[in-house]
Amino acid sequence: MRIEVLGLDKHFKNVHAVQDLSFTVEPGRVTGFLGPNGSGKSTTMRLMLGLDNGSGQTLFDGKKLTAHSPVTRTVGAHLDAKFFHPKRTAYSHLRMLGAEAGISKARVNEVLQLVGLESVAKKRPGGFSLGMGQRLGLAGAILAEPQVLMLDEPANGLDPQSIQWLRDFLKFYASTGKSVLVSSHLLSEMQLLADDVVVIARGKLIAAESMSKFLARASGSAVVVRAAEATRLGELLHNMGIESSANGLNTLTIPNQTTDRIGEVAYANGIKLSELSSQTASLETVFLELTDSGQEYRLGGEAK
Amino acid sequence: MMTAVVYEWRRLWSVRATWVMSVVYLGVTALLGGGPLYLGDTRMGVQTWKGLYSTNGNVLCLVMLSVVASQFFGHEYRYGLIRLTLSEFPARERVLVAKTSVLAAYVALMTFVGWSVLGMVGALAPKGSISTSGVGLNISGGQPSDMWQVLVFGFAYCVLAMSITMITRNLAMGVVLPLLTATLIEGLIQGFSSLSNGKLDWLVNALPFVNGNAWLGKAPDSPNAGLIFAAWIVGAYLIATLSFFKRDA
Repeated sequence: MRIEVLGLDKHFKNVHAVQDLSFTVEPGRVTGFLGPNGSGKSTTMRLMLGLDNGSGQTLFDGKKLTAHSPVTRTVGAHLDAKFFHPKRTAYSHLRMLGAEAGISKARVNEVLQLVGLESVAKKRPGGFSLGMGQRLGLAGAILAEPQVLMLDEPANGLDPQSIQWLRDFLKFYASTGKSVLVSSHLLSEMQLLADDVVVIARGKLIAAESMSKFLARASGSAVVVRAAEATRLGELLHNMGIESSANGLNTLTIPNQTTDRIGEVAYANGIKLSELSSQTASLETVFLELTDSGQEYRLGGEAK
Repeated sequence: MMTAVVYEWRRLWSVRATWVMSVVYLGVTALLGGGPLYLGDTRMGVQTWKGLYSTNGNVLCLVMLSVVASQFFGHEYRYGLIRLTLSEFPARERVLVAKTSVLAAYVALMTFVGWSVLGMVGALAPKGSISTSGVGLNISGGQPSDMWQVLVFGFAYCVLAMSITMITRNLAMGVVLPLLTATLIEGLIQGFSSLSNGKLDWLVNALPFVNGNAWLGKAPDSPNAGLIFAAWIVGAYLIATLSFFKRDA
C-alpha cells in the first residue's frame, strides 16, 4: 500500500512544528524517518493517523484512512512504548485492540509468542521494562497484519538481540509487499534497515529518497584506489577532468566518483589495481551534515 | 459501529478498577438501601431506590458509578491509550457513540443488578421486619415509569462525570466536581440564598441537582425541573464533544 503525505502542516501556538511536508512511502520497502529531537517526526506521524488536527492530508492507496475498513488491517501504529493501562494484562490489551478487525484469541497468542511475551501474557504490564513495552506495542501494531506499519522509535530500550530481531522482522514484513515507516535515532541501525529515508528538520523536509542516493550526498563519499602506477592514473584522471588526491604511498582518493567509472579508466589504460573500493559516508555523517542547522535543541550552546 | 462497542466493552471490563467499583457499588447499595428498609419497616419499592440517589448522604452510590464513568476517557488520556483507540477508530464520532452507548449499558446493568441486591436484602431481613412483597425486580406500587427515572438520573450523573473528564482530561475532576456540586456547593448556594431574602432564588432554581432531585421526586412546584436538569447534562456533553473533536489526541 502506497502512502502519500500531502502538505501536512501543524502549528503549536508559536511553534510551526510541521511545515508543508510532503513525501511518499512505497510498498515493499522500509522507509526510515529521521530528524533531530523536536524536528516534528512524532507530530507528523500523529497527523498522518488523524490524531492531531492540522492541515494537509495523508492518503493510503489514494484514500483517506477513514475510508478504509477495517482500519487495523490497513495501518498498524506503535507510537509509544508506554501506551497501555498498567493493570490490564498484555493478553487483554491485545484482545481489546483486536476488536476492530475481529482478531481471534489464537492470533493474539500467536503474536504474543512472536514478540516473546507469551510467558507474561497474563501479567499486568505496569512492571514491564521499556523493551517489553516496545514489544507489546509492536504486537498491537502487527496484530491484524496491516498493509502499513508505522513505528515511532521502536528500537528504544531493546537489547542488541531484540534490535536484530526487529530489523529482520521489519525487512521480512516489507518483503511481503507491505509498507513500513519507522522513525529512529539509532542511525547505524537505520542504515542497515531502511531502503528509503525521509529526513526532516524543524518541521521541514530535508530529503526523501533512497538510502543509497542519500548516502551519496555526503561530501566524504569517494573512491579509494591503490596501484603501483597511482601517479600515472592520477594524471590520466586529471586529463579527463576528474580530480584526485594522493593519500599515502601508491594510493589515490577520488571524490564523487563510482568504482565502476574508475575501474573502467584503469582497465582501458592497462593499469593494474591492487585495491578499488568505495569510501561511503555513514548515515550518521550525512544526517549530521544535512540537519546540523536544523537542530531544535542543541547541546552545549544556545538553540538556533 | 459494533466493533467500536465491542472494543469499548472489552476496555471497560478488562481493568480491575471496573470490577472493584461495581462490587463496592453493590455493597453500598445493599448497606444504604437495606438499612432504611429494615429500620423503616416499609415496603421496598421505587421510592426507597430514589432515596439512594437523591439524598445527599446516599450519593455515595452514584460516586461509584461516576468513577467508572470517568474512566471511560480518564484512563484513555492518563495512559495515552486515546491514541491507540483513535488509530483504530479514526472517525471520532464512532468512539464517542460507542463510549456513550457502553456507559448507558453499564449504568443500566448496575441499576438492575443493584435492584436485585436490594431485593436480596429485603428477602434476607428477619421475617416481619419489612415487607418482602416488592423484592427483586418486582417494581412495587405500580409505578414502572419511576424505575426509568432512576435509570435516567443515574445515567445523567455519569454522563456529567464523563463529560467533565473529557473537558479537563483529568479522571479525578470527573468524580469530584459532580460530587462536590451535589453535596456541598449547591447546599452552600441554597444557604446563601436563604440569607439573602430570596434575591438568589433564581440561581437556586437553576442549579442542576436541585432540579434533578426535584424531577426525581416529582416535586409539584417544579414542573420544569427535568428540563433544567437535562439542559445542564446536555450542555456539558456538548462542550465535551466539541473539546473531543477539536483538540489533539
